[in-house]
Amino acid sequence: MAELTGAFYARENSFLHRIDVRFKMIFLVVMSITTIQAGFAGLFILFITIVAAVIFARISIKGLIREIKYFFIFLVFIFVARTLSTPGEKLFQIGFFSVMLLVTEQGLISGALVCFRLFLVVLLGYLFIWSTYSSQVRVAVAWFLRPVPLIPEKKVATMLSLLMRFLPLILQEAKETTDAQRARCIENRKNPVYRFMKLAVPMLRRIFLRADDLVLAMEARGYSENRTLPRLYSKKSDWLSLAFIVILSLMMTQI
Amino acid sequence: MNIIEIKNLTHRFSDNFIGLDRVSLNIRDGEFVVIAGANGSGKTTLLRHLNGLLFPDDGTVFVSGFSVVQKPKQARQCVGMVFQDADTQIVGETVYDDVAFGPENLCLGEPEIQKRVEEALKAVGLWEFRYHRPHLLSGGEKRRLAIAGVLTMKPRILVFDEPFSNLDYPGIRQVLSQMLKLHRQGHTMLVTTHDLEKVIAHAQRLIIMQKGQLVRDGLPGDLVEEVEQFGIRRPCSFEFKGEFISWLN
Repeated sequence: MAELTGAFYARENSFLHRIDVRFKMIFLVVMSITTIQAGFAGLFILFITIVAAVIFARISIKGLIREIKYFFIFLVFIFVARTLSTPGEKLFQIGFFSVMLLVTEQGLISGALVCFRLFLVVLLGYLFIWSTYSSQVRVAVAWFLRPVPLIPEKKVATMLSLLMRFLPLILQEAKETTDAQRARCIENRKNPVYRFMKLAVPMLRRIFLRADDLVLAMEARGYSENRTLPRLYSKKSDWLSLAFIVILSLMMTQI
Repeated sequence: MNIIEIKNLTHRFSDNFIGLDRVSLNIRDGEFVVIAGANGSGKTTLLRHLNGLLFPDDGTVFVSGFSVVQKPKQARQCVGMVFQDADTQIVGETVYDDVAFGPENLCLGEPEIQKRVEEALKAVGLWEFRYHRPHLLSGGEKRRLAIAGVLTMKPRILVFDEPFSNLDYPGIRQVLSQMLKLHRQGHTMLVTTHDLEKVIAHAQRLIIMQKGQLVRDGLPGDLVEEVEQFGIRRPCSFEFKGEFISWLN
């Protein structure tokens, strides 16, 4: 089961772990937006900053690459699609039967830029997940939602928490249902719609039954919307980090 | 003194099936009671009336002197329930979060929550696992986590619905010794099972249910000869040695 939910919080005492989760969420949003505006030079500065953060936070680089290795395949697809679909100055042509594909200089640059941006956003996301206790995330979400009218922030926080709790269970249900059907030779049926229906219906039924049981268990433990959530405290170092991120963001967009 | 008083409790399900039929029962404070019966005999339905997860169609249920219908929240605090499937009882992303769920619902302050969580996890021997993800625990550990989850609410009565189902031998021993420890600390214990073997040596009272009715109520030694007519297997230890033998020996 652990392999199904690879990227998760690692308990450490690094500076990344000590930053208030609300600030980390703001950093994530600011830096993600900045990467859209930045060029290669700006992105390279961010990359250096992330590498420094990874080293200082004692994250295993090997482990990091292992976690995101499948993402590189996705990046290759994006790069190829972008390269072949952007008009511009012709570099060379590739011919498949009667189809001629034009590779342009602008396409290569644009593909590399998009891939670099996505890669950095994923790295930022990994750093966030790796260094943030998930219950703090729900508290921070509730904190951000508090001023928004008509949204019950504590209910949303509980839903988030349950979602994270339920994901491995859903994956487990899917695996068990698939295995049970493979044991009865479902693979002999070639119709994908038939196979999907045979998987989806029992799986959903089991998930709903589990959800029902969960509701009972929550009620038995006195669940109510009016409940205590852990408190978050911001420190001087959080504000200094925010200043650093703002300066970094301005530098990235100005270069 | 009776801590649970049930009078003429009747419960009908939405399809008109009678889950409980005029059940009357008193449980004394500090008793260790085993409720046995075949599948569908009404054991779980009875337990769910004790903390207001189900309400009676007829009859009354009093816990610690107050009516469960009128004060379900107090009932849930007073009666800690450990469900048959420990997996579905776990709501937290980490062991610590899960145990803190109950006291958070009671709107306790953060220091009190931390104190209770620490006490409960130490009591069940899971304090070292507090930052682990619950779904990676073993079956016995999950069941002990569920026990810790209800202990933080400081209940006087602990209710276990088929606590040994899906557990291996070490898991059963872990959970059983935990239950006995809690009983020694003064909790009233109600345990439902269709398999008497694992717990009967420690029970002070045996109640047998069949088709939603309470059909026998007495000392385990007095009732064990006739359990098979209600779809419950007689314990092997009694069959071969004529006495109940604890699974902890």
